[in-house]
Amino acid sequence: MKAPVIFFVVIALIFVGMDGLYVVNEAEQAIVTQFGKPVGDVIDSGLHLKIPFVQKVTRFEKRILKWDGDPNQIPTKDKRFIWIDTTARWRIKDPLLFYTTVATERGAMSRLDDIIDSVVRDAVSGRLLVELVRGSDYEAQEDSGEERFEVEGVVIAKENLVGREEIMAGILEKARANTPDYGIELLDVQIKRINYVEQVRTRVYERMINERKKVAAQYRSEGEGEKADILGQMERELKEISSEAYRKVLEVRGAADAEAAAIYAEAYNQDKEFYAFLRTLESYKKSIKENGRLVISTDSDYYRYLKQAK
Amino acid sequence: MQDWGSGPSNDDLEKKVIEIRDYFKNKFNPQKGLLPILVIVALIVIGAYTSMYEVDTEETGVVLRFGKFSGFSEPGLHFKLPLGIDRVYLVQTGRVLKEEFGFRTVTPDVRSTFTKRGLEEESLTLTGDLNVSDVEWIVQFQVADPFKFIFRIKDPVGTIRDISEAMVRKTIGNANVTEVLTTERAQLASEIQRDLQDTLNQYDIGVRIVTVKFQDVTPPDPVKAAYNEVNESEQQRESLIFQAREQFNREVPRARGEAKKVLQEAEGYAVERVNKARGETNRFLALLTEYRKAPSVTRSRIYLETLEEVLPRLEEVYVMDDKTGGLLPLLPLRKSMEGGAK
Repeated sequence: MKAPVIFFVVIALIFVGMDGLYVVNEAEQAIVTQFGKPVGDVIDSGLHLKIPFVQKVTRFEKRILKWDGDPNQIPTKDKRFIWIDTTARWRIKDPLLFYTTVATERGAMSRLDDIIDSVVRDAVSGRLLVELVRGSDYEAQEDSGEERFEVEGVVIAKENLVGREEIMAGILEKARANTPDYGIELLDVQIKRINYVEQVRTRVYERMINERKKVAAQYRSEGEGEKADILGQMERELKEISSEAYRKVLEVRGAADAEAAAIYAEAYNQDKEFYAFLRTLESYKKSIKENGRLVISTDSDYYRYLKQAK
Repeated sequence: MQDWGSGPSNDDLEKKVIEIRDYFKNKFNPQKGLLPILVIVALIVIGAYTSMYEVDTEETGVVLRFGKFSGFSEPGLHFKLPLGIDRVYLVQTGRVLKEEFGFRTVTPDVRSTFTKRGLEEESLTLTGDLNVSDVEWIVQFQVADPFKFIFRIKDPVGTIRDISEAMVRKTIGNANVTEVLTTERAQLASEIQRDLQDTLNQYDIGVRIVTVKFQDVTPPDPVKAAYNEVNESEQQRESLIFQAREQFNREVPRARGEAKKVLQEAEGYAVERVNKARGETNRFLALLTEYRKAPSVTRSRIYLETLEEVLPRLEEVYVMDDKTGGLLPLLPLRKSMEGGAK
């Protein structure tokens, strides 16, 4: 009769004792509530005691958690539609406040959706696309020419542009302002992806293609130009060579002719009459062909010589 | 069987012997005696089994006792307190882990196969000059502190992925498309690695980034053809220049050679001309010397010799007299000769 009673008492005590003990893991933090009313501090990892059945333990993540926003289609200040995908790290800083305001991680996520999405939307629509994409120390390519930023006819000076870092810092600051109300600490907000929406992307591709085509055309015409230049040089060189050769040839020939003339003159001057005589006969020999007819004037040299001969 | 001996005390043993005897006597009620023994044996086996664990070579064990961190365990066989008092989490600390972006390895092999399907959103990246480039990259990392890795952050790998993407976009967004595609890949990658490590250090999650490397960095597909065209045109430019140079090199030396040839010819002409002049004049002078010795005889001789040579060729000779103005047929030489011949 006695043994079963003891057995049940022991079981009951163990059961009660077990409920008085609880383990909080390194990844967790916990709060203890007594009939719904929070008791004591936030419980860290380890083995802890509580009043069985009366007190209840609620556990929360102690680790850094991730928030991932829905990719959003937002127009920038310069009216370009972009997809923006943000992500954030946060953690439960004040479990009690967290418990009372948003209760669960899921609740916190939807609150973060509201906060971060709206802050990001404000930041994006208040900025130019280049500001979102570039850092403050961006350097344009040397040959790209001067950029102009204009929003609805108003030119924005380059000095007034901010970089991505500043925008991100602004977003984080604004988003952070609200999260402590929910016992949440927001560690950072990052733009994971930023891209053109589909139809803008096609236009950008077209622009890129045209730009490339321009470069290609430039290369080609550079090639043509260079070729023409080289051929021109060649032409000049050829002309130079041939004309110089021509000049030299004429000079050489001229000099030779002059020398020859001098030689002839010097020799023939010794007896002009005899030279004329010889030369006349010479040309006579040369000029009279087979079966020709000869007509000579009575006062020509030929005739004279003929007469003399007679 | 040995567990039996070391387990229960002598009294228990006696009791059990009696029970076993009872069991054999009363075969209709077998469970009554054997069940507790089986339970005890099962408990011991489970206890022993759950208090042993193995840590692989590339792993580190993180041990929690009652949920609180109590130490790391090195590779090998270890004991822990059973029944969930000690809990061990194994983390691959030795291994360098890899995350891929913009592509996935489908089957890693000597020749791995990759897929890009549906990953455009991950790889298309805006550059600072507002162009789009298709960037694939990998991040290799190692767990530096296994405790932080699993207890400082939920989903550490997801976080590494997110921050990698954010940093790549930040860095690429700060560069121009040509730099991204060609010249500054390595520098950009190391910038990304630094930023990524810095950001993860802020979270203090015990991760060491081993390397960030770009894989294929290309223009987006629709633009690729245009990029190739640029490469082609660059080649064309080079080949046009090359052709022109070739033509230059072919024609100019030839022209020089030809010029030299013409000049040589001219010089030849000059020599010839002068020599001829000398020859002719020398001949004349020689003749003149003789002529002077006997002018009229020589003159007549030369004249007659010439006539001798010339006249036989002629058919007719006419003499034109200025005073009469008529033609005087002088010698119809050939006709009379021909007539005579007939």
